[in-house]
Amino acid sequence: MFKLDRKLITIGMTLAMSSTFALAAASAQCIPGVYESKPGAIDGGVTYPRKNGIYTAYRYNTQSTKGVWFGRAATANEIKAWDVDALPDGTGLPEGEGSVELGDELYEAQCAVCHGEFGGGGKGYPQLAGGNQDKDENGIVKTLKNQRQYGNTDAPKRTVGTYWPVATTLFTYIRDAMPYAHPKSLTNDEVYAITAYILAQNELEIDGEELDDEYVLNAEKLAKVVLPNRDGFYPNIDGPKAQENIRAFFADRAKNIGMGTRCMKDCKDPGGQDGKTEATVVKIKYEMKDVVPPYAYAKDLPPETEGGSVSKAEKMYDASCKLCHATDTMGAPAVGDTNTWESVMKKGMDTVLVNAIKGTGGMPPKGGNMDLSDADIKEIVEFMINSSKKH
Amino acid sequence: MAKMKIKAKEKNGVVKVKAMFRSLMADKEEAEKKKIKAEYITHILGKANGKVVFEATTSGFMSENPLIKFSFTGAKKGDELEFVLTDNHGKTKTGKKKIK
Repeated sequence: MFKLDRKLITIGMTLAMSSTFALAAASAQCIPGVYESKPGAIDGGVTYPRKNGIYTAYRYNTQSTKGVWFGRAATANEIKAWDVDALPDGTGLPEGEGSVELGDELYEAQCAVCHGEFGGGGKGYPQLAGGNQDKDENGIVKTLKNQRQYGNTDAPKRTVGTYWPVATTLFTYIRDAMPYAHPKSLTNDEVYAITAYILAQNELEIDGEELDDEYVLNAEKLAKVVLPNRDGFYPNIDGPKAQENIRAFFADRAKNIGMGTRCMKDCKDPGGQDGKTEATVVKIKYEMKDVVPPYAYAKDLPPETEGGSVSKAEKMYDASCKLCHATDTMGAPAVGDTNTWESVMKKGMDTVLVNAIKGTGGMPPKGGNMDLSDADIKEIVEFMINSSKKH
Repeated sequence: MAKMKIKAKEKNGVVKVKAMFRSLMADKEEAEKKKIKAEYITHILGKANGKVVFEATTSGFMSENPLIKFSFTGAKKGDELEFVLTDNHGKTKTGKKKIK
């Protein structure tokens, strides 16, 4: 994709070498420094000034951006479509309501495959409920203090009940990103229902009221939820004074974060410690000159295909397999991905069938739907293979 | 002692049950390692209409927050499903849920 002009590079390198000294004076601003409390700083404390007193933890990229299209300013409508999050106080939550009971049904159909029954967690997928919500004398949830060290058998358990600070995030996250393979397919009422179910599984209370099966959650009630780990994060990023709070917090790094102390002696000087020499940083050797082929500006949708009759196998695939196999992001071979399926088929049809029926890796037996017969599975697998062949 | 989550649904005469019991299931060895009190469920008994529909003797071999799934016939919607848990200290706990 990126074209590197090697002739230009060789010329450029000689030029660069000769002009290094000239540049050195010009780029005095680029000499990295360290945080103010220098004596205690370990090597990670290097800063890179940019301009107007702003500095970053990363080297400022001065590469040419010629040919790179940065787009245009977003229109008011685009911002409106993007600005859909809900704040902790409930601002931005849409209208709607859903009961725990409905959430239970939806959860079992769409979420339990990965997140486990009752939110108990699945192979590699986040646990949503459970974990001990008890706090220590400083108000810190005990389970979060578990260190992953040798000899420790307990890891910190980070669920909605023990770790999440705000419950409105549950609503926006489920609405925008879940179910994994086909997000944004749930209505607002359904999202409220699933949110209610997850809160109920965490045994949380709203206004002192337990969430039983008949409990109906809406925007007003969701904003009232106080999660156990509400004050477990720092610095405080809420409210209109958030920026000042954050700046004040990071201004005193030594106190609030800790600078660390050197644990070894006679280390090779990484440079930059005395503020004069430049730290040894690996720089970009070959500059990006051009983008080939150029970025496309066209925003057309893919051409629509004629919708033919849907076979029985495709219906079963839609119901039981599509959740994972529609995309390859779940680690499952995606339908339509010719190369992946070719490598899968090298195992032989029999092995693939056995894997589909008995499960393999992250895939549950029969895709988690035990109502399917072996013959059904065979039809589905054949459908998936045929749909992924080269045309 | 363990809290429990029970789910029971009747369809075509078959009641499908899923239940999760909150317990660390820490046996003596594990409890010593973690410096906590050994506490685990030793017996799970499920009853519907006074008849036993599920029974299991358990110990620390089961994972934390054990989850059980089973199905049975002979109960209808509205009947009550009852679980009785016994732990290693001899304490019992009952949980009830109506079949839907």
